[in-house]
Amino acid sequence: MSAPRFREDLLEALSNAPGVSGGESEVRSIVAQAVRDQVDTLEVDAMGSLVARIAPTSAASAGARANGSGPRGRRGPHVMLCAHMDEVGIMVHGIEKDGRLRIRRVGGIDPRILVGQVFRIGPKGVAGVSGVLPAHLLTKEDEEKVIPYEDLYLDIGAATREEAMKQVAVGEYGVFDTVYEGWGRVRKGKAFDDRIGCAVLASLVQQRPPVPVTAVWSVQEEIGLRGATAAARRVTPDLAIVLEGTAAGDAPGAADEESAPHMGGGPTITIQDRSLMADAKLNGVLTRVAARRKIPTQWKRPGIGGTDAGKIALSGSGVPAAVVSVACRYIHAPAAYLDLRDAQRSVDLVWHALEALRKEWPVS
Amino acid sequence: MSSATAASLPSTLAPLLTAYGPPGREAGVRQALRRLLRGAGSFSEDATGNLHLHAGGGGARLLVTAHMDAPGVIVTKVDPASGLARLGILGGRRAVELIGATVRFEDGRLAIVTADRSAAKDGELDADALSLESGAGKHSSRKGRSSARRATGNGAHGTHLEVGDVAALEDRPSRLGDLWCAANLDNRAGCAALAAALRSARRSRFDVTAVFTAQSDLGSRGATTAAYGIEPEIAIVVDVAHVGDGKETSGFAVGKGPGVALKESGFLAHPEALELVRRAARAAGTPLQYLIRENEGSDARAIRMSRTGVPTAMIAIPARRSGGLWSLVHADDLAQVSQLISAILTLAPKGAGTKTRRSRRGKGGRR
Amino acid sequence: MPPRADTIAARKNSDEARSRSVSDWLRHVTALPGVPGHEYATAPGIEKAYRLYADRVTRDRIGNVYGWIDGTGATPRPRALLAAHMDRIGFLVKRIEAGGFLRITQVGGFDPRTLPGREVVVHGRAPLVAVFGTKPPHLQKRGESDKVIALEDLYLDTGRSEAEVRRLVRIGAMVTLRQRPVDLLGGRLAAPGMDDRAGLVVVIRTLELLRERRPVWDVVGVGTIEEEFGIGFLGARTAAEAVDPRLGIAIDVSHGDMPGTREGDTVPLGGGPSLCIGANIHPKILDGLKATARSLGVPCTFEGCAMQSGTDAMDIQISREGIPTAVLGIPCRYMHTGVETVDPRDVDRSARLLASYLADLPADWSVGERLK
Repeated sequence: MSAPRFREDLLEALSNAPGVSGGESEVRSIVAQAVRDQVDTLEVDAMGSLVARIAPTSAASAGARANGSGPRGRRGPHVMLCAHMDEVGIMVHGIEKDGRLRIRRVGGIDPRILVGQVFRIGPKGVAGVSGVLPAHLLTKEDEEKVIPYEDLYLDIGAATREEAMKQVAVGEYGVFDTVYEGWGRVRKGKAFDDRIGCAVLASLVQQRPPVPVTAVWSVQEEIGLRGATAAARRVTPDLAIVLEGTAAGDAPGAADEESAPHMGGGPTITIQDRSLMADAKLNGVLTRVAARRKIPTQWKRPGIGGTDAGKIALSGSGVPAAVVSVACRYIHAPAAYLDLRDAQRSVDLVWHALEALRKEWPVS
Repeated sequence: MSSATAASLPSTLAPLLTAYGPPGREAGVRQALRRLLRGAGSFSEDATGNLHLHAGGGGARLLVTAHMDAPGVIVTKVDPASGLARLGILGGRRAVELIGATVRFEDGRLAIVTADRSAAKDGELDADALSLESGAGKHSSRKGRSSARRATGNGAHGTHLEVGDVAALEDRPSRLGDLWCAANLDNRAGCAALAAALRSARRSRFDVTAVFTAQSDLGSRGATTAAYGIEPEIAIVVDVAHVGDGKETSGFAVGKGPGVALKESGFLAHPEALELVRRAARAAGTPLQYLIRENEGSDARAIRMSRTGVPTAMIAIPARRSGGLWSLVHADDLAQVSQLISAILTLAPKGAGTKTRRSRRGKGGRR
Repeated sequence: MPPRADTIAARKNSDEARSRSVSDWLRHVTALPGVPGHEYATAPGIEKAYRLYADRVTRDRIGNVYGWIDGTGATPRPRALLAAHMDRIGFLVKRIEAGGFLRITQVGGFDPRTLPGREVVVHGRAPLVAVFGTKPPHLQKRGESDKVIALEDLYLDTGRSEAEVRRLVRIGAMVTLRQRPVDLLGGRLAAPGMDDRAGLVVVIRTLELLRERRPVWDVVGVGTIEEEFGIGFLGARTAAEAVDPRLGIAIDVSHGDMPGTREGDTVPLGGGPSLCIGANIHPKILDGLKATARSLGVPCTFEGCAMQSGTDAMDIQISREGIPTAVLGIPCRYMHTGVETVDPRDVDRSARLLASYLADLPADWSVGERLK
């Protein structure tokens, strides 16, 4: 059976929606609406992650019976597919008397990209600019210093605290003010880490999969892989594949162009990162499927970053886990790029891997 | 403890030191341990790579662990022109310690670690300044294309490295008087001490499961999943602790016998588990020194946080670093640690595996 | 029913009596010894306090202490977990040196600048008074007093002989700051250990109030261990695993207003409890606490916890299959020093807010949604 079509319309809606770690509800609504009709059950858990269960096609089991692969057909392993809904952003931490907003980052953001940026704050999307003293007014020394983020502030145009408090409140989140666009195969938007994973996952469940699947759109990944920790304990899968948007290495001056993944180089597979030793057998299934289907793939450079898979792998008595990512330039920055072909390729790879897992993966 | 255990330690230690087992790829050590402990109980393995040995007995569930992974390296990039590979370090080794080290891949290929000293930043070398030389030379660029891992012989040809290949530190253990000198003492020495104790132990008063844990050097991963599955009532972790220089440790030294950790990174000793170790040391007649260390830790941290909590003690084998590849452990310390473990296994569990204590029922109201 | 004027006077008196006794509780509970890993020294005092109000008091094998209030609802009843940590920052003896001087390691984060000259108690076979030794200015080199003394260079002097010290003190012995509570103006109180003994007093007071007005749910107040030390929160994690609550609230201290801080960094002393906002807080609990505060007329403030709350709630939230959590902060100046300062009225208000919120929780309150 051919893999489902990648839903670019979902990527656009998800990329534009605000969803900083702890404030994912709008992103969750978009996903819930997109997958509701296709899944068997759909729940929001105690931390806010979206959990969907889909039983496999009876056609898949029937096909298995016809193959003689077991008395009642082989159901295959229970697979957890996971992508995180949250993005990095800022939180309003305090409001000065003169109406400026003190902020804190949520998730890993290089403080150097915070200056002179535009943010949309709170449910109303109030515009705020991160102020910085113009060069004319600085000494040469000060110009060369990185401003620590505690010294940053947002200006929403308010002249007093009271005026500001009519528009925003302490605790509200702010996201980069980026609009999704594309040209050729390139797509630009914010939060591709990990809205691309969310869109790939939502696309995968548009068809009934060959194995029992629990799809989890998790919360709070960027602040410690937290939603997945709780979700994995609930789901208790036989194995897990996490869908991510990962840092592409191609850029001038990047010493490691050769090995870091390229935009357009196909789905990126993790061998080892700071959270996980990917299961060698599961990676073997992925690479064999890719070779058979002629899907180009690339290895993620070992030792970089961490994902929900790290926590899922350590849940219970241990779960074999792998990570399949779309390589994106400039993640954790206002505007990221990806190659749309990699999105469909990722859907294809995971879909056909599920078929292979049904036949090959030993189930106790 | 019988002198048979002391005599068997060298024969237990040597094959463990040289077995292949970097973090996440511990198959070689699992194999060696299965051979050494044949008949000692029933084996099983889990999804994280842990090797479980259920030795049985009666009474409270005791988990005793030693991590079997030892630091290694992973290929992160291959330069097609020169055949030189860049590497990442798996585990807690500093880059400077690996210069000139021979490493061995799972299929037997060898390589050496070379360093570009001019790349040191403020005198500190990191993994980016290291390379692996496998004698591969120029080969056609594969650009990391997906391919099944191909098996090669361990000859001089076909030594091409690929991104993701994992190698262990090749060990050449030796004796300097009473000192063991080897690269993988942390924690193959712990595995040896535990294995020797399991081989010689009489029937335990505890329901014993020994787990040789995987991926400890990557954040106590194996210990986390093992403890969850076993649900022990009490746990003992055996690990090597390097003596620091200067003010770091509390007078903890090589040659002064087994150590028990009072404090290490993320871990404080549980009073009951500590008392069990003290009683066992008295019963075995071994000395006991105290370990307090700030920045390093062991699997004890993860095990004691499992489920509703596990009273856990950490037994430390003192070791000294050379600043390079080798570590030094005193043979008597190692033998005494093994004796101490045996004593714990066979000790009558007085007060171990405490159930929830209920205090007097509240009467309510202000007195 | 007493006449109206007397009712008002009686309520004022009983309010006064209540805050006065909150002060007494704070004095008593902050004095209990107990550093991370050594909470068995605190536990008996907490158990005794819980026993005044709780239906049942238990201690688990890892050292957490629980006070249970049985709810009025039909079984099985949902459970609310209130967490305040028993450990306060302190030290352990690391080494005994020639001359009987002691080197220490810290358990919990101290500012070493606040230590030279401080009095401590070394809990050996008997409690021994000691001081952090200092060099008088006469003997210092020029510029030496400009440098902060690092923890490894500090030592303790008990004034006793080495032989006596070795006889009385074991490696690993607990060391706590010695400081009597200080009454400041406005009823404010300074003592070491307000972090988080003030939280424990909130729990004790909440149990007392819930005994008078029973909740539908079971409520369990837990004195957790090792909040101040380690990677993750051991006591909170294991307690949540054991109790399996339907919600958890951590009560800890928040930075009280002090000069030199920016907007949002602190909350005002006397302004009531601070309610945290952020990923560690479930909006449904936050909304409920806000509504209860409004109806009670309890003032409260808000603080943003962008990435983490730094409290037991962090681990409660990700325990089991995920538990909705909230954090209540008691404003406290000069945290992690010997002079942590709180306003007892904030402690009392926190307890009243919690007790009322919990008493009003209906049996069917839950989070999460079944969409299909």
